[in-house]
Amino acid sequence: MRKHIGLQVAQVLFAVLTYFIIYLPILIIFLISIHGSRFTFESFDFTTRWYTGIVQDRDLMQAIMVTLQIALISTFVSTIFGTVFAIGIHSMTKAMRLKMMMLNNVPVVNPDIVTGIMLFIIFRFVRLSFGFPTMLLAHIFFSIPFVILSVLPKLKSLDPNLFDAALDLGATRLKAVFLVIVPSIKVGMLAGALIAFTMSIDDFIISYFMKSGDFHNVSTLIYARLRRRAISPEVFAYNSLIVLVTVAVMITFNILNRKDKRKVVLK
Amino acid sequence: MRSLRSLTTPYLVWMVILILIPGLFILLATLSTFHIFNEYTFRFTTTHLRFLSDEIFIEALQNSLKYAGITTVICFLIGYPVAHFFAKMQSRSKTLFVALLIVPIWSNMIVRIIAWENMFKPVSILNLFGLSFDLIGTDIAIVLAMVSMYLPFMIFPIYSVLLKMDESLIEASRDLGANRFQTFFRITFPLSLGGVISGVIMTLLPAMTAFALPKRIGGDGMLLLGVVIEEQIFRGSFNIASTVSFIVMLMMLTAFALIIRVDKEGETLL
Repeated sequence: MRKHIGLQVAQVLFAVLTYFIIYLPILIIFLISIHGSRFTFESFDFTTRWYTGIVQDRDLMQAIMVTLQIALISTFVSTIFGTVFAIGIHSMTKAMRLKMMMLNNVPVVNPDIVTGIMLFIIFRFVRLSFGFPTMLLAHIFFSIPFVILSVLPKLKSLDPNLFDAALDLGATRLKAVFLVIVPSIKVGMLAGALIAFTMSIDDFIISYFMKSGDFHNVSTLIYARLRRRAISPEVFAYNSLIVLVTVAVMITFNILNRKDKRKVVLK
Repeated sequence: MRSLRSLTTPYLVWMVILILIPGLFILLATLSTFHIFNEYTFRFTTTHLRFLSDEIFIEALQNSLKYAGITTVICFLIGYPVAHFFAKMQSRSKTLFVALLIVPIWSNMIVRIIAWENMFKPVSILNLFGLSFDLIGTDIAIVLAMVSMYLPFMIFPIYSVLLKMDESLIEASRDLGANRFQTFFRITFPLSLGGVISGVIMTLLPAMTAFALPKRIGGDGMLLLGVVIEEQIFRGSFNIASTVSFIVMLMMLTAFALIIRVDKEGETLL
């Protein structure tokens, strides 16, 4: 097909504009994190002290630990339960499945602030003590629907007879799930886990409703400090580290993936 | 695989407890004296609904519609061509290009908001480049920051729909004599509508209910629906917060009804 040059150029420009507008704050955060002064910006003053300062900021370190613990546990739990529920949903009749998916998608579409208030109300109503347990429950809650959404399409492309065949051949149901279903939906599970982790580590609004007293994750800590005008570049340093690690992981995956594909071609 | 059906029962219970019951509580708190913090004697009342004609609410609703509306239109105008570009790209790196749109989401949202706030103040890190802006509280600042936050959420669903689209339909259209624009407007675009609707909703609803962004970048007294909900609930006005949340829930359900028409299982939501 003949390509239209003008359209191509416009599309490239729009893509560049997109990267620019979403990466600009990331670059600014990085710049602030290596600039020596908090209040003057007349000349650039390179420093790494905000990075070393992360370890000395005890509240921040604690909030980072909370964020990572919650992200890891909620990712693990929601991936497992999400997959189990997805398998259940997949085995339903179509009408039931559609109803179940409607319910599943409510938290996905629901604005975070309303989800936050809903969880706040119910946790308060049953008198859970706010802090780590409620925040963890909340993160598991908003992650599961995304895991289900990413596992379900993989289940659909699975031959339903395989599972029954495994049962006929004497496998227990548990064995059949692990040996027949799980291997074919691994990619969906991994994608779901990745989304769950991303959502958890970045969440502010829902966590904001789960906090209590001095218990904070990184987002709520920063917001609380912002109110007291005590924001210090350590959080920018922490944020830049997270982004750098992510980019590195992603590029490595991409390169490994390509090598794999090449091997397949060579065979 | 029927024997696996019972696996969904705990999920149903979980969702009823965490979504349906609190949803009903919000409805109840809107229409009655029901309260979760204070003692109350139960009776139905329309007092809280009167807040919907209060100028605070009207202003918040207008601001929400204005800023989120403009943001959504801009995100669509930029996002659609970009999603189309990536989806039809022949390069092996296209997954990397799309993945790079996710990276900024890994960066904390609050920190990104602070970065924009910093840029919009006269004394900022931009001074290093000889630039200085004084834009806190202006429309352009709020919209720019919102576009930056929500643009990826417009691109992902459109991209995934375009990626799955059957290429032979487009070839057929071209073979039958349609030109590039006819093909786009009569084949490609209508088929991608599911992604567009999801993208619009995933941009519009969060933008309307944002509260950290308008508070930091909108300057003092900038009211959006999210700001009103947050302020009311922490002031202890549980019923007013519920009433506003209920209005947002209605919007969400409308959006939901729209999505279900084009995409029954929510495949475009991811």
